Amino acid sequence: MKKAERAVTFTADQIAAYAEASGDRNPIHLDKEFARSVGLPGIIAHGMLQMGILATVASAAAGGGGRLRRLYCRFAGMVEPGDTVTFAAVEAGPGKLALTAVNQRGEAVLTKASAEYL
Amino acid sequence: MGVEGKTYPPVTSTIEPDRVAAFARAIGADPAGGVPPTYAAVYSLGATAPQLFADPEAAVDFAKLLHADQEFEWDRHPESGETVTSQGRIVSDISRRGMRFLTFETRTTGEGGAGVCRSRTLFVIRA
Repeated sequence: MKKAERAVTFTADQIAAYAEASGDRNPIHLDKEFARSVGLPGIIAHGMLQMGILATVASAAAGGGGRLRRLYCRFAGMVEPGDTVTFAAVEAGPGKLALTAVNQRGEAVLTKASAEYL
Repeated sequence: MGVEGKTYPPVTSTIEPDRVAAFARAIGADPAGGVPPTYAAVYSLGATAPQLFADPEAAVDFAKLLHADQEFEWDRHPESGETVTSQGRIVSDISRRGMRFLTFETRTTGEGGAGVCRSRTLFVIRA
């Protein structure tokens, strides 16, 4: 049973805004040339930005962010500007949510994701 | 390795309303909707991880660092304007096939010392 879902197309501006607000200004998120110099295809989104968006979906499914008591995910795939990731939460028992984040190619970018709420 | 169990000095920080609002906008949450749960990336993990990364004894090569997984557990969510204290600890540090797996935990408490959040992170440092 699907409780909440949100599709997000990532942009460089959004990644930069997250870098500024979170304080994680690692240049792999901000500087295309630097990212390429360390073997990445270009800038990539923070795992914590993905998890933050996932948390908004978990919060909606839980009836408010204040109800969340646990959140877990594994960072399994890169997300680049232009990628569209669909974040979803389904019920997995009383007070438990199973969470997914899948890109436009059907690849899971976050795995083993789950939440618990009051 | 030698740094397993190492605990860093506690860090006190204030949950700044303007930064909370900017953070909420960046993740597409309502900026008026209170402190987003994963703002713990700032007040908990974000407060202590710089100590780990700057520690010559821990010798984390930032350029080869991957954030492999993340767990947050909350006793409650902090309020905007609240002051919280976070303390980081290296839970385990294992090297396997040239990769280093470092589990880092941060416990955040409110004024009076009651629990707010526990952050548990697996960092992988590539060879």
